[in-house]
Amino acid sequence: MITLLAIAASLALTPAAMPTPPGELPVDPYEVSNSNAGAEPLSDPAVFEAFGGIEGIDRIVDDMVERITVDPRLADIFRASDFVRLRRTLKEQFCYLLGGPCDYTGMPMRSSHADHGITTAEFNALVENLQLAMDAEGVPFRMQNRLLALLAPMQRDIVTR
Amino acid sequence: MIRFLLPLALAVLAPGHASASPLEVQVTDASGAPLANAVITLPAPDGFDPERHRFQWPMMMEQQRLQFVPHVLVVPRGAQVEFPNRDRVRHHVYSFSGSNAFELELYGREEARLVGFGHPGAVVLGCNIHDAMIGYIRVVETPYAAMTGADGVAAIADAPEGPLTVTVWHPYATSADGTATLALAEGDSAGRTAQISLNIRAPR
Repeated sequence: MITLLAIAASLALTPAAMPTPPGELPVDPYEVSNSNAGAEPLSDPAVFEAFGGIEGIDRIVDDMVERITVDPRLADIFRASDFVRLRRTLKEQFCYLLGGPCDYTGMPMRSSHADHGITTAEFNALVENLQLAMDAEGVPFRMQNRLLALLAPMQRDIVTR
Repeated sequence: MIRFLLPLALAVLAPGHASASPLEVQVTDASGAPLANAVITLPAPDGFDPERHRFQWPMMMEQQRLQFVPHVLVVPRGAQVEFPNRDRVRHHVYSFSGSNAFELELYGREEARLVGFGHPGAVVLGCNIHDAMIGYIRVVETPYAAMTGADGVAAIADAPEGPLTVTVWHPYATSADGTATLALAEGDSAGRTAQISLNIRAPR
């Protein structure tokens, strides 16, 4: 019985080897879970609606990624990034956190940012670009703040110096 | 045929090679264990200009999987060393080593940056972002330089004949300048491996 439990436990802990989606680069295996998104999702449907649903979130993420690639404070950090994967996982994460019908399949915030040496100033610069992208989509400030409130505590896992 | 003759002709024509012989040195720690990454050097011949010298290995210090590769690189004084970042994350390489101090911010996969080393000695490399990254560049003013492998052995194929002072440097040596020397009388090392031991501290 103990042996069976141990096997079950080890199976549960084995990271699921997700197939690499087309156009993306392989990553080291990790356990896929919505808890990797770094916060509990909102349950108020008005917020998801204010973001324009999945299509609105997709546009916001695409716009934000465009902005960070030309932001001199951030461009060098992202220069060697897999932008296909970055866009996909950010869209999943925002959709999930905003209470949309999405699962987050990316890495936990701590491991996805490990080794990047991100500073507080760089974290804040990324938030600025997100705010500009939400403005461009016409998301009301009050609704923007619902998302930012979920993202802000992630600074603990993202900023490492 | 030409391929065989050319190196032979070059060997005959090259000055100072007429009376050369191979020298092999084994470097160990105080307990006798072989010491890898030790750099052995011999005094340069008169009139040697390190600025014009080229070693046979690449003047390159890669950053790969959050490590400096190689761990130790030997370069002639004046060398321009490439610092390609093979990682997807950025590095912030620096050295506080005296006149060779420098700082280099390298974004992910950046491969086109050079650093010149104009002063002899040991250069300790670190990365501001990844504390565990440590590497060394040994800047020398001699054509006679070699590094020990895992067996602790380094070989200089064309060591000059006569009495020689072998200098051994290792990043973890406890002596003030990281070196120890070994005096070899003429013929001392012929046909055998010279032995030298260094006191080292535990690597960080």
